[in-house]
Amino acid sequence: MKKIDVLYVGIMLVGAFWAFIVTSNSEPISRVTPCKLVDIIAQSDKYISTDELARRLMSDDPTLTLIDLRNKQEFNSYSLNGAINIPLQDLLNKQYVDIINQDVQTVIFYSNSSDLAVKAWMLTQRMGYSNNYILKGGLNRWVETILRPEEPSATATLADYEKYSFRKAASAYFGGGSVTGESVSKKPALHIKRRKKAAAGGGCD
Amino acid sequence: MDKSKTYMNSYLAGILLGVFMIAAYYFSGEGLGASGAMKAVVIASVNDINHEYAAKAPYFAARVQNEDKSPAKTWLVFEILGVIAGAILSAALYGRLKLSIGKAPTISNRTRLIAALIGGILFGVGSQLGRGCTSGMVMSGMGVLSLSGFIGLVAIFGGGYVLAYFFRKLWI
Amino acid sequence: MGPLFPTGAIGDELNMLIGFIIGIGFGFLLEAAGFTNTRKLAGVFYGYDFVVLKVFFSAAITAAIGLFLMNHYGLIDLNEIYYPKTFWIPTLIGGFIMAFGFIIGGFCPGTSICAAVTGKIDAMIFVLGAIIGIVGYAFTYEPLWEHLRGTGKMGKVDIAHWMGISDGTFILIMTIIAAITFFAITVIQKRVTAKRDYQL
Repeated sequence: MKKIDVLYVGIMLVGAFWAFIVTSNSEPISRVTPCKLVDIIAQSDKYISTDELARRLMSDDPTLTLIDLRNKQEFNSYSLNGAINIPLQDLLNKQYVDIINQDVQTVIFYSNSSDLAVKAWMLTQRMGYSNNYILKGGLNRWVETILRPEEPSATATLADYEKYSFRKAASAYFGGGSVTGESVSKKPALHIKRRKKAAAGGGCD
Repeated sequence: MDKSKTYMNSYLAGILLGVFMIAAYYFSGEGLGASGAMKAVVIASVNDINHEYAAKAPYFAARVQNEDKSPAKTWLVFEILGVIAGAILSAALYGRLKLSIGKAPTISNRTRLIAALIGGILFGVGSQLGRGCTSGMVMSGMGVLSLSGFIGLVAIFGGGYVLAYFFRKLWI
Repeated sequence: MGPLFPTGAIGDELNMLIGFIIGIGFGFLLEAAGFTNTRKLAGVFYGYDFVVLKVFFSAAITAAIGLFLMNHYGLIDLNEIYYPKTFWIPTLIGGFIMAFGFIIGGFCPGTSICAAVTGKIDAMIFVLGAIIGIVGYAFTYEPLWEHLRGTGKMGKVDIAHWMGISDGTFILIMTIIAAITFFAITVIQKRVTAKRDYQL
């Protein structure tokens, strides 16, 4: 090889080292494409019902991480057991990545209704994270169904009565009836295992 | 020394080509290509000759639906117009603009031209089946680290080395 | 943030003009590197001239380094650009057909256009052949190719992620392999051309 050839190949090697160093120091930008995202959004199992959540909380399920997306004030006045407060605008902060991006814990987003949770969920899908769910109906439905369950009408089915009795029990467990001045025991945040980076890919045409 | 036999340093040409690829991606989001432009010209011509057919046949249909815009008005066609201008410019600068047939001294002009025709037909079919040719799919694909670019690289160059022995009479 | 046209920063007409200007650079470099000489192109398969390999790999490596660095520093969004989707079966078969085309015809579409407009008669015939091939493909698309073309669909696949490594690691490995190859082909070319005089 001529000297000038060595120079050009050297330039390429230097560039490659540069690319190697910068991309290995940071999370590679995930490549969930818009059309892949459509498929993900269309899937139906992104929601978790208030009943299911109550059941898991009552059984002290250790794999549950609750994320409260409301602001700090709202969080302080009332929140679910063991929830972590991450306002939506801070969701992608580096400090929270380990909490949201993982496969050991089931992460459940909630806010007053489903609105903020859906937004948060979409963001995490865009980032390529899995194991995230939305609390269907949010805290409003939580209060309606779990804390203040409505007695089924006389013509209701047995299943409805069973659900009602479960909700009554849950209501007692979570100290329902009144949601003002709630003293909710706060569990310390569970220890977090880092999730292995998933291979991105997909697309449609 | 004969100026027409001097060429730009291969690595420098490659690096500059890479810079132009980056520019194509940065400005237009497009990869450099050639067979795509040929395809656009074929589609536009068939559409002009028989629009009814083109609107129905699956190969043409997607590209001829918009009546206001010619299927030939694509980025790749303009890029190829530029390629033509650039190649002529360079050939003129190096004194290489003259009619000739490139071939090994051992074969006849006729053999060379028939081989070129067959090769062209095969490349035309292969580029359509493989979704792009050496520049559009393999080079641009490798630039964005697309798996298909590397599969194409192995198929075209690997295949070339496998076949080289059988066609050595054409070249040596 | 790029790419400018897909994100709406520049209009359609300006985009076409940019395409033309970039094309000039592309054509100039192909010609200047010697890609209009079919003997130089075929040489890569017989070991007497490796210009194709050198230019090709240098270009792909430069583009990959540039694009991934720009993506890293937020100058371009790689999700928005042309990204060849992977359909491994038709790409492999099509690639092999193109290998036949390359070794028999001595050009690929891009280089044949450059060579044809600079006076190479064989390249003009090659371009004609390529157009015949595309027309032939188009008119036999439904019965012959439509099914085959959609097989082996993998979508948008990044080779580095597919192999389970980061993009930067892949680029580094690719560049090191290329550098070793560049050194090796210099040695090979010297040996092959020492035995015999290849008229280019």
